[in-house]
Amino acid sequence: MAATLGAAFYALYHVLIPFLLGCAIAYIANPMVSYFEVRGLRREVTVIGLYTAIIVAAVMLAGTGFDIAMAELAELQADLPYYVEKLKGLRQALHARISQPLPVLGRTVQWDVHWDAKLSAASLLERVQDLPSYLLGVVPILSLLLLVPFISFFLMVDGPRSIGRMIQSCPSRYVEQVLHLISEIDTSLGNYLRGLIVIAAAITVTSFIGLLALGVDQALAIALLSGLSSFVPYLGAIVGALVGGLMAAFQFGTAAAGLKVVALFIGIRLADEFLLQPYIARHSVHLHPLVFLFTFMVGGEMFGFIGLLFAVPAACVIKALTGVLWAWYSSEARLQVPDSFDASVVPYT
Amino acid sequence: MLKVLTRVFFDPALQKKKGFLRSLLLFKDLKDQELGVLAHALHSRTYHMGETLFMEGDIGRALFILESGKVDLSRRDGSGKERRIYPVEPGGFFGEMALLEQLPRTASAIAAERSHVYLLYRSKLDALLHDHPRIGASIMRHLAELLSARLRQSDAAVSGSLERA
Repeated sequence: MAATLGAAFYALYHVLIPFLLGCAIAYIANPMVSYFEVRGLRREVTVIGLYTAIIVAAVMLAGTGFDIAMAELAELQADLPYYVEKLKGLRQALHARISQPLPVLGRTVQWDVHWDAKLSAASLLERVQDLPSYLLGVVPILSLLLLVPFISFFLMVDGPRSIGRMIQSCPSRYVEQVLHLISEIDTSLGNYLRGLIVIAAAITVTSFIGLLALGVDQALAIALLSGLSSFVPYLGAIVGALVGGLMAAFQFGTAAAGLKVVALFIGIRLADEFLLQPYIARHSVHLHPLVFLFTFMVGGEMFGFIGLLFAVPAACVIKALTGVLWAWYSSEARLQVPDSFDASVVPYT
Repeated sequence: MLKVLTRVFFDPALQKKKGFLRSLLLFKDLKDQELGVLAHALHSRTYHMGETLFMEGDIGRALFILESGKVDLSRRDGSGKERRIYPVEPGGFFGEMALLEQLPRTASAIAAERSHVYLLYRSKLDALLHDHPRIGASIMRHLAELLSARLRQSDAAVSGSLERA
């Protein structure tokens, strides 16, 4: 049964991706909707209000973000020949240094980087002809961008009603067990997913401010890359340190500048570990680091990047499921004696 | 106009649910917004006549609050026969010990007619105690008062039967 379900999921996972992402977004946003719902507002009204606010904020942010992105793009375009020259110089220096003790390596490896503006323009024109195929490649991403909010809208509106329907349809005697399972999954998964969002936002903002303070070019792009990568635990700081460090080293021409960026991301990682994690992970999932690693490897191998994103949530669900099933089995089979308060000594007064 | 806007923006089902919860002794000290939080934490289910809510010996994990209908609590006697010990009427609650300890249920609960029940699951109460301490503490205080009253009653009953003996 489980194997059949697993095989069906594997076969259909491309179709299921928007639904999984929609579920994740609806689930993460649920406390926000609940905040207004407990104050008496209809769920539908709250969700429509939330979507309107997000669209307005996105339009406003897109304007500012677009300006910054365009400025960074123009800056990159202007600086690219300079970076290539730098790279060329660096490689030539490395070549000279390596050729003396290892002449074979110096002869066999192509060390020169050529930057010819005319050649690059011609190559660029050739690339422009391939633009329609690039645009077609963007279609699945655009469809995801439209489909995921559409799905999450309906899931958000439906909200706890779907759990209510599940409780109503399960055999009456097992309602408590089903609630137990839902509660266990909610406790570990909810805190984990919401924690990820907080951490990603914190890493994006702090790294953007830090990179700006250090005067590193492409600060927004590096900060966004680092923030997005942090959805895979531990990856955000590594990506930020690597990309930001290289960018700073090239920009300022010194290794010290790169090391400053690396130090910034180490600081961000430590702050995340000691300031955010204790608060976020307090009620979150507790998985052994090796189990974390194993789930990432399995998720990545089977479903690529999406597999990396959903590896830990899937492990949370499996852990909760096995925990609840074991507790249920052990109580039914009387394998465990439940803890009880020893009230045999002091009489009631 | 105001009525129409209220109907469009506010949920009448939640108001009804809050009104019912307000009428219960267990939640009598809660404010309107706190009742909203509590109502959100409750699950609900409709049981048809004859359906089992839980069996004696099951591990208890939730408090049941009867909104409508009727539920019979029964217990097996020495010969293993089910004996009805108490009929729960609308507004009554049962299974409250599950909020304090996860021990086997001491009675079975079966719907005597079509009944609508709210369930307060133990971990939801834990979450209320953590996130909304005033709500959690108020429920726990009333629960403690209720258990204390029941203990006094059983104490008096035991003393009475000892005196008669």
